[in-house]
Parts: sequence; structure tokens; C-alpha cells
Amino acid sequence: MSSTYIQARREWLLASQNRDGGWGYFPDAQSWLEPTIYAMLALHGREEAKAALERGWRLVRGWQMPDGAWRPAAGIDQPCWATALAVTLHCVRGAHDEPFRRGVRWLVGTKGAEGTLVNRMLHWLRPTLIGHDSTLLGWPWVPETTSWVEPTAHALVALKKARAALGVGGLPEPAALGERVRTAERMLLNRRCRDGGWNYGNRQVLGEWVASYPETTAVALLGLHGNGNFDRDRALDGVVRLHGQTRSRLARAWLALCLRTYGRTPGPVEVDTHPPRDLMLAALETLACAEGNHALLGVEGRA
Amino acid sequence: MSRKWSRRRFLPLAGGAAAMGAAGCGRGPRRGTGAEARVAVLKAASYSQDLVDVLVRGAALCGLDVRGKRVLLKPNLVEFDSGAGINTDVALVGAAIEMCRRLGAAEVRIGEGPGHRRDTLFLAEAAGYRGRLEGFDQRFVDLNRDDVSPVAGFADKGRIYLPNSALGADLIISLPKMKTHHWVGATLAMKNLFGLVPGGVYGWPKNLLHYVGIPRSIVELNRIFRRTFAIVDGIVGMEGNGPIQGKPRSCGVVVMGSDLVAVDATCCRIMGIDPEQVEYLNMAAALGQVDAGRIRQMGERPAAVRQDFLLIDEFRHVRLRGIPARI
Repeated sequence: MSSTYIQARREWLLASQNRDGGWGYFPDAQSWLEPTIYAMLALHGREEAKAALERGWRLVRGWQMPDGAWRPAAGIDQPCWATALAVTLHCVRGAHDEPFRRGVRWLVGTKGAEGTLVNRMLHWLRPTLIGHDSTLLGWPWVPETTSWVEPTAHALVALKKARAALGVGGLPEPAALGERVRTAERMLLNRRCRDGGWNYGNRQVLGEWVASYPETTAVALLGLHGNGNFDRDRALDGVVRLHGQTRSRLARAWLALCLRTYGRTPGPVEVDTHPPRDLMLAALETLACAEGNHALLGVEGRA
Repeated sequence: MSRKWSRRRFLPLAGGAAAMGAAGCGRGPRRGTGAEARVAVLKAASYSQDLVDVLVRGAALCGLDVRGKRVLLKPNLVEFDSGAGINTDVALVGAAIEMCRRLGAAEVRIGEGPGHRRDTLFLAEAAGYRGRLEGFDQRFVDLNRDDVSPVAGFADKGRIYLPNSALGADLIISLPKMKTHHWVGATLAMKNLFGLVPGGVYGWPKNLLHYVGIPRSIVELNRIFRRTFAIVDGIVGMEGNGPIQGKPRSCGVVVMGSDLVAVDATCCRIMGIDPEQVEYLNMAAALGQVDAGRIRQMGERPAAVRQDFLLIDEFRHVRLRGIPARI
């Protein structure tokens, strides 16, 4: 992939930053936490992006809520899953201060709501309704709902990075944190589809197997990075295959990121040199380049 | 345990999501609002016929007025599988754009926020929307990632955040596929509004809606969005384990109307489903007409085009026993 490809995306991201310091999913749209953090990771360490990154950082810090969680966008008064991305960004920047610790504490204390007694009883009465073990809890998109693959994988990345940076003893609630990581990894493995990948989070519904998606397969494997209790090589062979097959640019970016995180090189695919209008996609494509900051989403990655 | 107890307790558990609090709300006699509803049922044998003509005739029968309005078309774009007929066919979406243009709409946009897949544009491309709909990139808005505003009151929640493109439209035309649904029996014009809820706030899936209760969420969204019209793609629908894993079912109809409750009730009758047994329609009495006696059927009679869609075991009890001859 040429340097023009990555440079065009970096320039596009810099040109598309909102006045408040964040990035929208699309140009001239409101800033959201998710594309803001991916853009900041994509631009991390670039001299020409220094001022833009500082503006972004001020915005991210300002969006933390009193309970330690982050809001998804300005004016939205509810905590969200992308708190995991904010914690990851703190790790990348080496900001292990009190806001970071409150974010970690929020993550450790937030879990899927399917573990309630009533829900477990319903699952016991009707096990074919869903095919997975609903006692294994990961993270939900929003509090008080079920845990799903993508927010769980991002929370795992964040907590593992935090643990790698500070050691278990240096983090709040170390025992609970360790237990959450172990259980969430089991949850991801338990929700794996028959075809070896992952979809949004159900492997079976009403007794029928559900197919995996390429993008969630890649994200799930990022969450499992460092785990040795599954057939990693077979899973990554599947990722290589999906990367060559999928027509989704978003999926291709996540699959390439996943492969690079595991030390593999994505095969050549037809690429559009022009950056996409979708700023989150532009950031992910930048991260996924060989010269990109893909290591930042690995467990130990810090520039 | 009775079937009704188990169904109403279990069905909202998509993905393990319990949503029982709302399951019993709103039941009772279905009297609907005062006004009689007009619903047009038009034959359309295939997607290759002149669908613009079909829709323009339907619009006239229903008295649809889009002059000067900013219209948002909301198709059903869920997953892509070339053989499954999951999504609203691109030919019908194209015909709806042209119908709006001919009838004098000021602006026609297309918006969708798929519930599972994050790459909305890829879905639109795979379903043929991007290649076959003129000016698609300018018309299309990913409602999962649109700017949002708070709207007060959604079930027992203080507020819900909804996309500005939907809140700012003068008219939303719900363009669903006529499908069975393994949690609520049928998914039609009213449930199609789930795609207006932004994944950027609520995730993929929009699990909050399951916890509130799928029937209750359907009703709440339709209470919030009142400037609506429906065009149901029943040319080829889906039966069995819908809305994704079912089988295509040729039905050869397009169903239209401004009372989405009446449109859904009519579609149910065409699918061989008793709308009075469908929980969300039971709960929607204040929003429109379920009672066949209060729906003025235009075009074809539902009984004349009825095709009994296959139902999964959990929904055998909603099978319609018969349609009065007059409708």
C-alpha cells in the first residue's frame, strides 16, 4: 500500500476535525467519541497532528461523566460502551491518572444484564432460544442491557492494555478486573459461530445456527489477543480468507488490523486511494496500514 | 405453563435480552382512533413491472399528498443474502422515489440504520441500492450515525435520542418487506421504524428496544413518529423463521396507507395471520385501526390475495381462521 494512501487519509482526517476538537462519523457532522478516538489513534505520534491531537484530547477528557464512564457525544447524558476506547486512548498516551482510573473502575463494574436471576431462569426453561451460556458476562453497548461481542472485545483490549501498562497491582480493583477479563474471554469463545467466526453476539437463535460477520470476527479476535485457549491459527486463516473475500471496506480494515495485531500480513486487495467520506472508516484504514499505528490496538501497544 | 405466558415472557429475549416489564401493557378492546383508515392493496406480480404506476395509483387511492414535503424513505435493509429476500427490493425503492418526484415532493432522501451490521453502505451496495438508485450517495443517510437530538418520553425512559434526518422530515415513508418475525409474529411498516433508532447511541443490536419490550418499542416509536405513510413490499415476502432466516414467499402485492396500524393489520390478513393475536397491534389501539370493520380496503380485497405464510411453532396460534367475505 503506497505512502500516498496513508498520507491522503491522514490529511483528510486533519482537514475534517470539528471545531470542538472531535471528529464526526462524517464531515460537518457532530463529533462522536468513537470516530474521535479512532482518528486520534490513527494520527497518534504524527508531528503535523500535534495541535489537532491536543484539541481532541481536551474534548475527550471533557466528555467523561461523574461515574467514570464516557458519553458517546456532546449532549447525550448516558454512559456508553466507547468508554473502553477512551481507556485505551489513555493507555496509548500514558495518562494513567485519576480520570483513567475512574474509567477502569466503571468498566470493571459494568456487565451484561443477562446474568440476572430471572434471565438465567428463563434461559434454563428454554435453552434453545439462544445457544450460548448466558451466565458468562461481557460488556453491553449501554448499561442494563445484554453483553455483545463488539463492546466486550473493546473492553478486553482496554483492560488488558491497562494491566500491561501498570501491572495488576497498579490498577483499581485488581481481583475483579482479572476475573472480568477471564470471564469475558470465555464469553467470546462461547459465542463463537459454527463457521469459526463471530457475529454481533448470538451463535444460535431458536436452535438455528447464525452466520458470522467478518468485521465482528476481527474485533472479537482483537479482544482475545493474548489468550492461548483457542485454535488461533485456524481462526487467523479464516481472517485471511475473509479479508480476501469481503467487499465491505469496514470489514477489510478491521480484518487487516486484526491480522497485523497477530503479526500476520494481510494479502493484497484492490484499494481505493481516495479516502472515504466516512471518517471512522478513514481512521481505521489508516490504522490498518503497514505504516499505520495498528500496534496501538494490541495489548501492549504504546507509541 | 400456558403458551401465552411463555410466548410473552420469552419472545423479547433476543440475544438473552429480557424485556418483560412492558409485555402486558396496552391490551384490551381494540377500538382504534375515530377515523376510518384507507388501505390500498395493489397487485404487482414482479419487480420488473411498472411499479411507479402501481405506487401512483396506490397514492391516489390513499389520498397521499407529498407536495412540497421533505420525504424520508425508510426501506428495510438488514443483512444481505442474494437468495433470501430479506431487504426491501431496490426496484420498489426506486419506484417510491419516482412516485414522490411525480407527486411534487420537495426532497426525497433514503435513510436506514441496520440493527446488526455496522457497514450500512456495504449493505446498500450489496442490495443493489447504490448501483441502481440514481444519486444514491447524495440521497442516503446512515441513520445509525446521523446527528441526534433527544425526544422526551420513551416507555419508562426519560428520553430517547433519535436521528435529526428522521425528526426533521415532513413525511417518513416506511418501506418494509412483508415478513414473518420469530419474536413478534410479523415485521411490517410499524416495526420497520426500529431502523430509525441510532446504533451510535444504542449499539448493534439496539438492545434497549428488547429490554423495553419489542411490542412496546414498536408502539412508542410509532407514537413519536406520526407523519408517516407505508408502502409494504409484498411482491416477494418472507415466511417461516423471519426476519432473516426465513424463505422467500411470492405474494404479488403492494400494500399502502397512512394508518400504519391498519396497513400492518391488512398485511397480516393477507399473510394469513390474525392481527388481533399480534401483540404490538393489540397495544397500538390509540394509533390506528386493527378492526377490519374500520378499515376501508381499496384495490384488492385481502381475502382475494391471501397467502398463508408459513409460521414457526411459536406463532401457530396467530393463524387467521378466516376473513369475512366482505373484506
